[in-house]
Amino acid sequence: MNGLGPVASKVRTASGALLGLLLIAYAWTVANAPVDSVQGVIQKILYVHPPLAYGAYLGFVITAICGALYLWKDDERWDRLAIAGAEVGVIFCTLMIVTGPIWAKGTWGKWWSWDPRLTVTLLLWFVYLAYLLLRSFGDGGARTARFAAVYGLVGVALIPLNYFVIEIFGGRGMHPENLERGSLGDGMGLPFLVGNLTLFVAFCWFVLLRWELENLRAASLLRAADPLARAREEIAT
Amino acid sequence: MSYVIAAYGVTALTLGGYALYLLRARAREQKTREPGQETNNG
Repeated sequence: MNGLGPVASKVRTASGALLGLLLIAYAWTVANAPVDSVQGVIQKILYVHPPLAYGAYLGFVITAICGALYLWKDDERWDRLAIAGAEVGVIFCTLMIVTGPIWAKGTWGKWWSWDPRLTVTLLLWFVYLAYLLLRSFGDGGARTARFAAVYGLVGVALIPLNYFVIEIFGGRGMHPENLERGSLGDGMGLPFLVGNLTLFVAFCWFVLLRWELENLRAASLLRAADPLARAREEIAT
Repeated sequence: MSYVIAAYGVTALTLGGYALYLLRARAREQKTREPGQETNNG
């Protein structure tokens, strides 16, 4: 049994190769991006903080979609992809929560504020951290997988709330409003685009590698639990 | 400038460390597999 199907395996290899080139372009465009006239050089955190947020959103959406597919099709591969999405999503969400306060300290003068966006982001992080704890400490059976699928589907409702919470609160929080077309200064569009592209490709590579690892682990467990299959393999070799 | 270096540094170190963890874990899983099975072509 292969860790990934042929298509996913090729996508992962291609994304790994592309990532090397994108990282060079990313470093170059960020280093040469214009310095913001108001915030100064610290504004360059813009090219990493929102892309990490989009990666976190994508990871949690993958968890919800794959959870739904698992409930529908009863195929464990979807459940394993849901785990991969959640884990990579939590890594990206953690980095978003770390890079945000670094930016805040330099601009607001304090690391944290109980602003609506920051509070909902922290809640989102806790929800998916709890998902990973459930998967780690659960019995690993179908019952845990079904519960986790429903949990992932409910948890994803926090994403639109997280995105639109600034508008819901009428912009009264400290966090800046969501980026819109034309809201970036001259010369800032390219590094922002390259930053998003690089972290998106990195996200795809991580998810596919994590999915492959989960498939390999499942295959090992299956072999260990089935002495007949093991014996057949020994006879074959 | 130190804030920018901190933000990019922590991101690079975390993602780099996670990549190493995943690659090592995958190599370990592949090593424990029985001989005679098809190998991963990824």
